[in-house]
Amino acid sequence: MTSLISFGIYMVAVFALAIFANRAGKSKSFVSEYFLGSKSIGLWAFAFTYAATSASGGSFMGFPSLIYTHGWVLAWWIAGYMVVPIIALGLLAKRINQVGRIAGAITIPELLRRRFENRNVGNLATLLVVFFMFFYLMAQFKAGAQIMATLMEGVPVYESAVAGVERVTAGIPWVGAAEGDYLLCLLVFAVSVIAYTTFGGFRAVVWTDVMQGVVMGLGVVIMLVLTLAQVGGLGNATKRLGEMTPPQFVTVIVSTGEVSQEDRRIPRGEWIQLEGESKVIRLKSSVIITAGETESEKVEALKLTTPDEINRVLAGIDATSPWTATITGPEELYAYGDGKKGVYMTAPGPSQKDSGGFLGVMLALSFFAFWTFSGAGQPSYMVRQMAFRDTITLRRSIVMVAVYFTLIYFPLVIIFTCARVLLPGMEIHPDRVMPEMAALLTSNAGMPWLAGLLIAAPFAAVMSSVDSFLLLVSSGIVRDVYQESINPKASEKQVKKLSYLVTVVVGVLGLLAVMHPPQFLQHLIVFASAGLGACFLMPMIFALYWPRTTSRGVIAGMLTGGATVLVLYLVGFLITREFGEYLLLGLHPFVWAVLFSSLAIYFGSLSQKPVSGAIRLRYFGKPVERTKR
Amino acid sequence: MQEPEELGESFRQSKREFWVMVGIWAFFAIWTVSYNGFFADGGSEGEPDILFGMPSWVIMGVAVPWVLAVSATIWFAMCFMKDTDLRDEEDSE
Repeated sequence: MTSLISFGIYMVAVFALAIFANRAGKSKSFVSEYFLGSKSIGLWAFAFTYAATSASGGSFMGFPSLIYTHGWVLAWWIAGYMVVPIIALGLLAKRINQVGRIAGAITIPELLRRRFENRNVGNLATLLVVFFMFFYLMAQFKAGAQIMATLMEGVPVYESAVAGVERVTAGIPWVGAAEGDYLLCLLVFAVSVIAYTTFGGFRAVVWTDVMQGVVMGLGVVIMLVLTLAQVGGLGNATKRLGEMTPPQFVTVIVSTGEVSQEDRRIPRGEWIQLEGESKVIRLKSSVIITAGETESEKVEALKLTTPDEINRVLAGIDATSPWTATITGPEELYAYGDGKKGVYMTAPGPSQKDSGGFLGVMLALSFFAFWTFSGAGQPSYMVRQMAFRDTITLRRSIVMVAVYFTLIYFPLVIIFTCARVLLPGMEIHPDRVMPEMAALLTSNAGMPWLAGLLIAAPFAAVMSSVDSFLLLVSSGIVRDVYQESINPKASEKQVKKLSYLVTVVVGVLGLLAVMHPPQFLQHLIVFASAGLGACFLMPMIFALYWPRTTSRGVIAGMLTGGATVLVLYLVGFLITREFGEYLLLGLHPFVWAVLFSSLAIYFGSLSQKPVSGAIRLRYFGKPVERTKR
Repeated sequence: MQEPEELGESFRQSKREFWVMVGIWAFFAIWTVSYNGFFADGGSEGEPDILFGMPSWVIMGVAVPWVLAVSATIWFAMCFMKDTDLRDEEDSE
């Protein structure tokens, strides 16, 4: 309950900032203020809004779940972040800001449209932003709901509210199939973010990003200290990790010796000893033994295989526990790493599905390129690069973000490799490892109130991403579709109303779409990042650095990049029947998309007459020449 | 990709910075992928090789290049990257 109070204080601060932001921007032009903070963002705000938006639910929920599942190899997987600040912030920022100002653009599609004086370029860019950004929104909503669910677990008012939600939604198609706790938290989370984003606009998003960035940094540092203290030092944790072998997935029946006149519910996550064996399983979902029966239906479970873990869990199981379990089906083994000691310490890392392991050399190279260049190609970051005040702000921000990312990402690898030692069996629900770890660490340290702050860190990461994406999608629709194509003479009042309405509608659609998301959050995030990066990275690089680029080239580049990612994900789905990419020659689809997109832009541009000398002079010429025109 | 004479110095400088950044990326990409490709692969079982509490390949394959990459970033941003006047006609009106 104390953690809930500290979390509540954090939420109040977020809303207070939105209110201040709304007041601060009242005297300025609505569109430029609402979507771009009047292009006056200073050092701290620019650095933190970039860092906080970048560190999304993926960094604080999906990434920890992958570290937990695959071990130290994730240090290699994330290594590209060592050069993300210089590439993602440095590669395009100066030119985007300059060209954006010359063009008088507020959004990325608008910048492209004006740079090429071609409406089709802008419309296609808007369409692609809205399409891929929607997947990103889905992932962030899922992460936000999961964090809230962990925080609220066990609070009596919340439990009765969950029961109420389950009763009300039971008969509703699509909605009723979702679990009650997830649904309730999703609703509360989505309404909060939509409300403060709609109310405060870009300035609120940036201000809350600064606060959220600080909360994230503090959260990681505190978690690192608590983790190392509780695990007995990093060396000890790594040694124990070296002894671990991956778990197995089994189907079990839970039984009891006593017959009861009432239904008995055994919750998800319960540890149960196997009948007649010194082995344990953990339930993947809750199960009911109905009145008068002694056995449950079949249920999926996880079986530990590391002796040290088994002994520790067995010691914690209540000796009077009425439950025992019997395995009924075949044991599903890891495709790579089953029974192999040291697999969590080395590459390629254990994998449930892939017999080649989690991370091969080619895939590692792909991710090194992916994190850096797809980061540079995200419209949500590009739009921030249009908003900084001057190049001194940019240069100092690059340094700040480089230091900040070092303090966030490497410690996360340390914390969640140690989590394997402190928190066994989280493979049943890997995306919840971050909040569960926060709760465990603070409870062990006798400071449960601190859990609120630690859980606020990933929550802050999610919120700071969702608000930016919401604004990006709504700016695309309002500025690039409505103002550009439907009603160019719209009054400021009309645009204001529509901006609020669109932000709310997009948020609600995201909420509805995410009721049954895929298991691994990170898959959605990687797909959306790859798609956006594939569509925008090379077209933007060519548009900013090659004067010969034409509208045909850019359209071809965006379409080819996006299509490459979609096709390789579709092939991946057809092969595995699960949401995931196909690694052609071991390389991630993003790498292929960048390659094909570059070729399409180059040849597409050469096949068309060059842009006029006036346009070239305007965007690439000397400042004196530009002003002469 | 011929550069016409009318190109501004600010654009040319941005382009120089672009290629330096790509060079820095390529250097660290080659380092981490080649080092880890050789040394991170776990063929053997048993007692792991640990340095500073981490598997030894993490130190030379991730931690050291990470520190150097941050140093290179600081050098680039504070010493190599030049300031440019971003204002345009619309802004200065």
